[in-house]
Amino acid sequence: MTSAPWMTVARREIVTKLTDRTFLLSTFGLVLILATVLGVQAWMAGKTSEYAVVTSSSAAHQMAGQVETVAEKSDDKVLVTLEQVSDDDAARAAVEDESADVWLHEGDNGWVLTGRDDVPGDLLASARTAIRDATLDANATAAGTSVDALTSGSEVSTTFLDKDADLAGVAKAVGFALALLFYLASFTFGLALANSVVEEKASRIVEIITTKIAVRQLLAGKVAGNLALAFAQMALFVAVGLVGLTFTDYDRFLPAVSGAVGWFVVFFVVGFGLLACLWAVAGALASRTEDVQTTSTPLTMLTMGVFFAALLTSGTTQVVLSFVPPFSAILMPMRVLDGSAAWWQALVALAILVATAALVVRVAARLYQRSLLQTQGRLSLRQAWSTPE
Amino acid sequence: MAQIEVTGLTRSFGELKAVDDVSFTVPGGLLTGFVGGNGAGKTTTMRMVMGLLASHGGEVRWDGQPMTTAIRRRIGYMPEERGLYPKQKVLDQLVYLGELSGMTAADARASVAEHLERFGLADRAGERVEKLSLGNQQRVQIVAALMTTPDALILDEPFSGLDPSAVDSMVDLLREHASRGIPVLFSSHQLDLVERLCDRLVVLAHGRVVATGSVSELRGAGPELYRLTLGGDAGWVRDADGIHVHDVDGSTALVEPSDDAARQALLRAALDRGDVVDFARQMPALSEIYREVTA
Repeated sequence: MTSAPWMTVARREIVTKLTDRTFLLSTFGLVLILATVLGVQAWMAGKTSEYAVVTSSSAAHQMAGQVETVAEKSDDKVLVTLEQVSDDDAARAAVEDESADVWLHEGDNGWVLTGRDDVPGDLLASARTAIRDATLDANATAAGTSVDALTSGSEVSTTFLDKDADLAGVAKAVGFALALLFYLASFTFGLALANSVVEEKASRIVEIITTKIAVRQLLAGKVAGNLALAFAQMALFVAVGLVGLTFTDYDRFLPAVSGAVGWFVVFFVVGFGLLACLWAVAGALASRTEDVQTTSTPLTMLTMGVFFAALLTSGTTQVVLSFVPPFSAILMPMRVLDGSAAWWQALVALAILVATAALVVRVAARLYQRSLLQTQGRLSLRQAWSTPE
Repeated sequence: MAQIEVTGLTRSFGELKAVDDVSFTVPGGLLTGFVGGNGAGKTTTMRMVMGLLASHGGEVRWDGQPMTTAIRRRIGYMPEERGLYPKQKVLDQLVYLGELSGMTAADARASVAEHLERFGLADRAGERVEKLSLGNQQRVQIVAALMTTPDALILDEPFSGLDPSAVDSMVDLLREHASRGIPVLFSSHQLDLVERLCDRLVVLAHGRVVATGSVSELRGAGPELYRLTLGGDAGWVRDADGIHVHDVDGSTALVEPSDDAARQALLRAALDRGDVVDFARQMPALSEIYREVTA
């Protein structure tokens, strides 16, 4: 059994890449970075802070009890332990030998937290709140009124028209992450594709290959191979990311995010295919590896443009661009993710993208075919288009 | 036996007519040499035969039928400018090319192993092509053209860059494939090699075919010349009947008899006059003919 020529080509692209040490190392490196970032997040989220507070008077001990209540209520990962000692010297000694983190005692005008070389920030914040509340309460009682009466009407609360503002933030973050992945994938794989095309031109092996199979098959195979690789690499990153997220505080957003990721996948495949064909043409227009830099400049700009559009646009511009290929490849799934686009809008954008991709493939195939056997220097698009076969 | 027929093939690059109304046949079972100087149009013609370049006129036929992609896929082709994937291993890329020609991976593997063995490259199969010497890279390229047991061979300068022993194994291989009855066309600058090897010749100059035929036909195509070497002065032959004298130098004369009788009469007259050291047909060397037709 022999497979279709484009599948043989695609298989070679994949095998070549998978045995390329640079590719493997960079993929592994990115996974490592991603895992590290998520690992630190998870560790931070799971970490319990324990503070030992020492006091040397019963008034201070009572106050420390209120600090404990406030601290543990504000964050369930904070644990405060109390210890009362006989006198100031013993308390000072406890902080000195680190059996206690801070010594809470009364100062000339209010309260003092004495630490060895620093006082933990969240403990200090809890102490301020607890002590202010307690002091206010005492002072109000002394003045014949109550804290509630004094602070009545001063409350400032927040509400969001957007039902889940947190989710919107996460959607934005995930959207940017996916936009970055798309940019990285289309740029690195695109450039690699252009280089592999010019390698075939420069080594003239393309003359042998094109007597055996149609140029379209060669182009299709190269694009398919790189698409499969880019997709697998991105799936790996996303999988590591999603698994990693389950260990962090953000795991509650996973169900909301994963549906939109499906849209992202579809747009990725079509958008990447469209750009990959253009990268192949950029490679075919060059005759030597050095030329690729020049012939691919417009494409580099376009790819960066897509990324920055995802990063920077908003409002009407974003809505319009989310229908315009190749911007739609990333902007539309981002809008689906943050809930600003309905499913039918995504379908319309996808239809436009697919139609454009089909057109680009035809144009690219013609340019590719006509420039592939021209080995004298760089070709302009115009030359490539009008070169006879 | 299948044959490749080229009729009226024409191709211009801008103002330049690189190939102008070129017609010839590459018969099956024979080695056809394609000879011509730089820029004569050999490579352009071969590329058009292989469908790499579109022709501006004329056609290429395979056994009377227009040449198709499917047939071309079965032709072993070796381009003038050599190239393989520099970073890929010898075995891997030959198997890849075999698969693109329609072989199964297993068949390709077996055929590659056999051919590498023949060229003494069996132990280099796992090396990257860029690690091989240029001569060995060339051998790998030849394997790429031959490994599919092709229906025809079109080889652009297959001998350039080969050492004498590689030339010999190449010659054996080409003969072997021709003896299967397939058409074999190869271009070369090395006229001595072409003369030794070729059954037929196609000579190209300035984009046109200036001579075709077997080596002996070409060599015999010119006037029938005889060299006469005598014991004494040969000046008298100028007066002999039916003899056109091309050159006389002391005791040696280069003559062109008008017919067999005139030739016999000349020899008798020479014997009557004294000693005849040598009287023989002069065949021009291929290189002389080449210079003549391409001038």
